[in-house]
Amino acid sequence: MRFLTTVAVASLAFSGAWLGVVEAKSVSGDRVLVLVPKVEAAKLYSQFLDSLTGRGFDISVRAATNTSVALQVDGVRTYDHAVVLSPESKKLGANLSVRDFVSFVDDGGNLILTASSELSELGRKLAARFGVEYEKRGTAVIDHVAHLRPINDTSDHTLVAASPPKTAVPVLSKQFVRPQSNPVYFKGIAHKYEPSNPMLISVLTGSRATYSAPIGSDANEGTISLSGKALGLVSVFQTRNNARVAFSGSAALFSDALLSQEGSANKQFTTDISQWVLQEKSVLRETAHRHYLASTGERPEHYRISNEIVYEIDLSVYHDDTWHPYNAKDVQFEAIMLDPYIRATLNSTESTDPKTTATYHGDIKLPDRYGTFTFRVNYKRTGYSNVDVKDTVGIWPLRHDEYPRFLSAAYPYYISSLVMAVGFLALCAAWMWSAEPKTKRTPKQKSN
Amino acid sequence: MVNKVLGLTAADQASLLRIAILGLISLVAIGSRLYSVIRFESVIHEFDPWFNYRTTRYLVDHGFDKFWNWFDETAWYPLGRVVGGTLYPGIMVTSATIYNALHLINIPVDIRNVCVFLAPAFSALTAIATYHLGKEVKNATAGLLAAAFIGVAPGYISRSVAGSYDNEGIAIFLLVFTFFLWLRSVRLGSALYGALTAISYFYMVSAWGGYVFIINLIPLHVFALLAMGRFSNRLYVAYSTFYVIGTLASMQIPFVGFQPTFTSEHMAALGTFGLIQLVAFASFARTLVPENHFRTLLRGAVVSLFVVGLSGLVLLTMSGVIAPWTGRFYSLWDTGYAKIHIPIIASVSEHQPTAWPNFFFDLNMLIWLLPAGIYFSFSELSDNHVFLILYSIFAAYFASVMVRLILTLTPIVCVLAGVAMAHVFETYLNLRDVPAAAQLKAKATPDVVAATDAVKSLVDAVSDDTAIEDTDSASGHKKDGKRGKGAKKNAAKAVEPTSADGAATSSTQPSVPTSKELSPALKRFYALFPKFVVMTCFMFLLCMFQWHCSWITSTAYSSPSVVLSSRGPDGSHLIIDDFREAYYWLRKNTKPEAKVLSWWDYGYQLAGMADRTTLVDNNTWNNTHIATVGKIMASDEDTAYELARHHDVDYVLVVFGAMLGYSGDDINKFLWMVRIAQGVYPDDVKEEEFYNSQGQYAISDDASPAMKNSLMHKLSYYRFADVMGGQGFDRVRKQKLPTSVTLDNFEEAYTTENWMVRIYKVKDLDNLGRSHHAASKF
Repeated sequence: MRFLTTVAVASLAFSGAWLGVVEAKSVSGDRVLVLVPKVEAAKLYSQFLDSLTGRGFDISVRAATNTSVALQVDGVRTYDHAVVLSPESKKLGANLSVRDFVSFVDDGGNLILTASSELSELGRKLAARFGVEYEKRGTAVIDHVAHLRPINDTSDHTLVAASPPKTAVPVLSKQFVRPQSNPVYFKGIAHKYEPSNPMLISVLTGSRATYSAPIGSDANEGTISLSGKALGLVSVFQTRNNARVAFSGSAALFSDALLSQEGSANKQFTTDISQWVLQEKSVLRETAHRHYLASTGERPEHYRISNEIVYEIDLSVYHDDTWHPYNAKDVQFEAIMLDPYIRATLNSTESTDPKTTATYHGDIKLPDRYGTFTFRVNYKRTGYSNVDVKDTVGIWPLRHDEYPRFLSAAYPYYISSLVMAVGFLALCAAWMWSAEPKTKRTPKQKSN
Repeated sequence: MVNKVLGLTAADQASLLRIAILGLISLVAIGSRLYSVIRFESVIHEFDPWFNYRTTRYLVDHGFDKFWNWFDETAWYPLGRVVGGTLYPGIMVTSATIYNALHLINIPVDIRNVCVFLAPAFSALTAIATYHLGKEVKNATAGLLAAAFIGVAPGYISRSVAGSYDNEGIAIFLLVFTFFLWLRSVRLGSALYGALTAISYFYMVSAWGGYVFIINLIPLHVFALLAMGRFSNRLYVAYSTFYVIGTLASMQIPFVGFQPTFTSEHMAALGTFGLIQLVAFASFARTLVPENHFRTLLRGAVVSLFVVGLSGLVLLTMSGVIAPWTGRFYSLWDTGYAKIHIPIIASVSEHQPTAWPNFFFDLNMLIWLLPAGIYFSFSELSDNHVFLILYSIFAAYFASVMVRLILTLTPIVCVLAGVAMAHVFETYLNLRDVPAAAQLKAKATPDVVAATDAVKSLVDAVSDDTAIEDTDSASGHKKDGKRGKGAKKNAAKAVEPTSADGAATSSTQPSVPTSKELSPALKRFYALFPKFVVMTCFMFLLCMFQWHCSWITSTAYSSPSVVLSSRGPDGSHLIIDDFREAYYWLRKNTKPEAKVLSWWDYGYQLAGMADRTTLVDNNTWNNTHIATVGKIMASDEDTAYELARHHDVDYVLVVFGAMLGYSGDDINKFLWMVRIAQGVYPDDVKEEEFYNSQGQYAISDDASPAMKNSLMHKLSYYRFADVMGGQGFDRVRKQKLPTSVTLDNFEEAYTTENWMVRIYKVKDLDNLGRSHHAASKF
């Protein structure tokens, strides 16, 4: 599967040449808002934007100052995705606030947010919502070792060359983790990220010689606030509702200048990032799931304790325009009542639709405990959309007539009661038919 | 016969009257229980009845088989409740049977109405059963009086008004009826009646946990009789039949199951059963082995066997073979036990020890007739009377330990008061010892005279009962006067009043001069006057009794508690319907599988009215689960949020009385939640942290930090100060309102008209993975 992905991405890398031929589409819609400082500035990003158009997106390029631009109207999204390439604009569109952007994301919208050394307060606050903390205004990422070397090297080494970490694979194509891959050129601002945050994936970080310092200052302890791997250059965020957001400390990373720079992987990198954010790849979904009694193959209203059941789930992953079967060995099923009673790994099995879905199957013996259980497949993997499937299922105790009858341990009791009954009858018979002495008995005084 | 009216003999007249009177008593019993329907509506009351109502509906809708195997997933989420195996199905089956029978004859009655009116209907049956019990122990007079008493005694009404659809509603009838059958079977030595007792006992077992009272009292009765040397074949037949059939039958109820074989509560019955076999064998042996001192030997054997049996029981209990007494029973012996060990039992107000005024409140004059009744029982002391004495002593003890057990005391109080009152009537309404009157009635048999006299007096009592608006004593006074006058017409020579119950009467009667100089009229006056005075007093008391009962019923016991009423400033009647408003909101506005967290008091109502899943309810079977809910309420917002999420809670419901001054709200119950939570989570919840620095239970700004941060406090007072303005005041606690109550992890979903019920939604996890505090700040 990984191979497939690689091939797909590799083929996409050349898609620029096939404009209009390939009609890749996002699973969540194709309306893209692109905010640039001025409409003319869009030319700077023409390669990137053309690649979006070429992938079938319906791009609306708007100036950041255009006050008619809104992300949502009456609570309904007007765009499916937004790309902000105007990091320095103090106001965006119809005075869009941080809250508007968060609400857009809560509603399932995807964002690509870029930054620069002169990042506006709005962009800074917005990023902070997602746990991305940009460095102070006026700082830049500097690397005196790995940087783009112009012919006359008199620059301040702010156009750094960086490589993605290995962990970024589901977001980026595999070629980036090869040892001799081309670097990604980056010019902009660094950010701090929380490596333990499972929702935030760092896809481009500094190398050992990379640091963040105010532009034009000397590099010393007083000025360097962030350096090395802890220095984030590009990070992506996936929310609980599977909306995706990318934070790039550099808008220039998307520019034609760097995309067409020889020896740069920027083109591939921006394509990968945009494909991931705009839900064109690594989108995981559950197409169906079912559970039923192993014996009858039917799903009853509720199960009984210790029932043997079958649980199945179908998973698909989206890339290269279509859904493909998602293959993995770590899909787990849980039966939870406050705590997990059962946690079992589901095995891949023959799918009803092998072209698009993979079916995972588990033979489960329900616990010997009644209650309301939650059958759950909670599959969260870095870079993939979250799949969290829950079913609330009642597990009932046995019916009064389902308990075992005639326990072998109880035979002495059965026999004793039988003997008792027979003995009683025999005694009665003996009493009734035994010869009595011929004495006249006085009738018992009795009245009811 | 001479005195034929409508072609009926005196005896027939008496029985006709008895039937008529019993009918009237039944009507009064039913009628006085209908206040709640008239004042409010035909609605199920309180808490437990909602569960019974819900299960009855399930039974009617799904049939008995499904009901029997019903596992309720919506209660005690996520543990669930095996409903079929953890309830006493008697009341549901009774209602369903009535419902189906009515539908069979094409009376399309609603199941709710069957449930609402079941308890009043059964109270009429209770009156009839009590009549038979009274008749069994004394005579029809005592029976009728007892029936009249139990028909209106508030101690019983409190649990059987229309809408109070609870186990006790039918169980008291079964209790009385079982005892009646038991006494009869002991008196007759009849296996038939013994079996009937067992069947009635089975019905009782199926209806109420209080059957344990029967299965301990009857063996105690037997044991007492044995210890008194009163073993007889009658007793043997009655008890053996009852115990064997009754125990086997009781084990068919899933909730009881094998308990009769291994729990302490049932051991006395088993021991007595063994003992009576030994005694029977001994007395059989006695016929074979003539011995003069057998009786003494027997007694010694009985006592030593008892000691051996008891010590064996103790040993088995300590070694764990026999289940020890449950906490509820311990708290019957040691009233402080529950408060220390089981706060969940102590937290229920009906489990508190009874305050003395309660006895008068619930039983009025009957409570002082009780000792008189016991005295008369002692003076006769037949087997039946031994039972009455034992019953009264034990029930009186239990009633003083636990408020709600006044219920079991009420029947015996009514019976013994009936006995005592019958003695009074027979003594003071007996005009035969009045000159000439005796001659006039010479032909009537003495019994009938006594009976008809008593009946007359009862007619008075009953007529007073039904017409309480009449000036209380006047009617009794008038009728007594009439009788006096009637007797006067037949004035003749005086005869020394020789009362059969001279001992009882002479002390109260003024000494009658025996001088021959007194004119006959004066002698008659001396004979009649004391009777007249005493009867006037008693009539007055009876009227007061009825008045008291009606008043208590209408003011104290007829509130459904789901609907409250109050008086407006102009005296108008206001209905406060916040509970149903809130439940209905939940029913209509939340998704059907939503889980609602509330304190356990409201669990049954939530399930019944809102039809939503609850975490805890009034069944209180799982202390840990309740303590968890207590902990959620007592914790700070973040801990509570985490726990609530862990339990899949969607909504939190709190009852808040500060707006109206409703003192039964959750803040007042909060300390109990804290205590119960502390019992299970002593490290996380500590009661002393909820008192402020002055050691007070404060809610305003000077409350302790734990109190102010607790979820309960926040949910109760959130935004309350805003609506009350700056001068806000908690009308229950009489304290100022806390000013800044913030809430981040929960959002207000609904608050009822009078702010009595507040519902909050548990927020979903933040989409961006932030804490709700952080999210709300921005």
